[in-house]
Amino acid sequence: MPAWIEIKDARKNVDDFQLGPVNLEIEAGTITALVGTNGSGKSTLLKLMMNLANMDGGMIRILGKPVDGGDESWKRHITFQPQKQIGWNAYTGNELKNLIAPLYVKWDDKLFEHITGLFDIPLNKRFGKLSPGMQQKLSLALALPRKTDILILDEPTASLDIPSKKLFMDLLVDWMEPEDRAVVLATHQPDDLRKLADYLFLMQDGQGIGLYEKDVLTSSYRRYWLTEMPADSVPGELSRDGRQLISQNPDATEQFIVAQNIQVLDDQALELEDIISLLLK
Amino acid sequence: MLPIRLSKDSREPIYHQIEKQLKALIAGGHLAAGTPLPSIRALSKDLEISVITIRRAYQDLEAQGFIETAHGKGTFVKEIQGTVKEETMTASVRAEFERAIQNAMDYDYTAVEIKAVFEEILEKLGKGE
Repeated sequence: MPAWIEIKDARKNVDDFQLGPVNLEIEAGTITALVGTNGSGKSTLLKLMMNLANMDGGMIRILGKPVDGGDESWKRHITFQPQKQIGWNAYTGNELKNLIAPLYVKWDDKLFEHITGLFDIPLNKRFGKLSPGMQQKLSLALALPRKTDILILDEPTASLDIPSKKLFMDLLVDWMEPEDRAVVLATHQPDDLRKLADYLFLMQDGQGIGLYEKDVLTSSYRRYWLTEMPADSVPGELSRDGRQLISQNPDATEQFIVAQNIQVLDDQALELEDIISLLLK
Repeated sequence: MLPIRLSKDSREPIYHQIEKQLKALIAGGHLAAGTPLPSIRALSKDLEISVITIRRAYQDLEAQGFIETAHGKGTFVKEIQGTVKEETMTASVRAEFERAIQNAMDYDYTAVEIKAVFEEILEKLGKGE
């Protein structure tokens, strides 16, 4: 089966900023998180995927169709929730629903009611008059019921309170139950990464650093406290501080340490946030 | 939610930890035949592990006859044979003893010392009954 989203050497120049070339493939059944420092190009990449900005080179295909190919039928199979909804301010939640629902054949009104009830969203108030958190909740209530094959969310939980973040995760997990859907999520929230992401796509200064399977990433790094630190560099060594060593190849490191007759006082896995910080250094 | 506790600090692969603990729950009778298991996506969220790893654990358990997947309905605990139950328990208990004895040997305990510790702990825990 071809990837649901296929990004090949996608490039975009905006003033001084240069995005790409970015390469990424998204498969059905997966949640991929775009992770990067502010200004790393996540939102620009999402805009290219939605054909909301023109590429300066490369190619993006969604469900097999080039996004800039004129035929925009693929847009009915994808939902994009930007950080800021453009043109929604004058409309109430009810009006927005009446505008959006007819565009999607699989629109699920029960799910819409469930989410608006869950978050206690006032549907008679204009979008522009809602708090940022409430706007985000309403955006979700208008995104998930479309039941499109692909869902793209740009920092969907940034303004949500803690209980709402938890509800959001449960909603997204339920939404992913049919295993033929895919989510791409730009986020800074460690909880989103831990509980939702299968893959992490790391970005820095407009470049894709790599696509990592989450559990492979967390098992690839380890911190050791040694009885003594060898003078020479240790296989897998990433950094050292006194008798503390961080390795990006635990097998090689441990083999070497045993051969050198050095004892390990303690060792532990690194937190996902620590690993991301190391990779984005 | 399943009483599965993963040790992310352990070098034992996560899918292996999940398999082992689910097997123990099934063989120990805590999860009866027919009990529905969480979906791969739901367990992935609860355990904070990717669906790729959960799927691998479920596939292994299915291949070994502990669980079965009914299309569109979900994954369920299978009826396992008495011999499999026993083998699983024996293997699990033996593995724990091996680990403990290895640990003692790493600290240069002699066989006699290990036996003494074993007797002492057995006595202590036995009194609790």
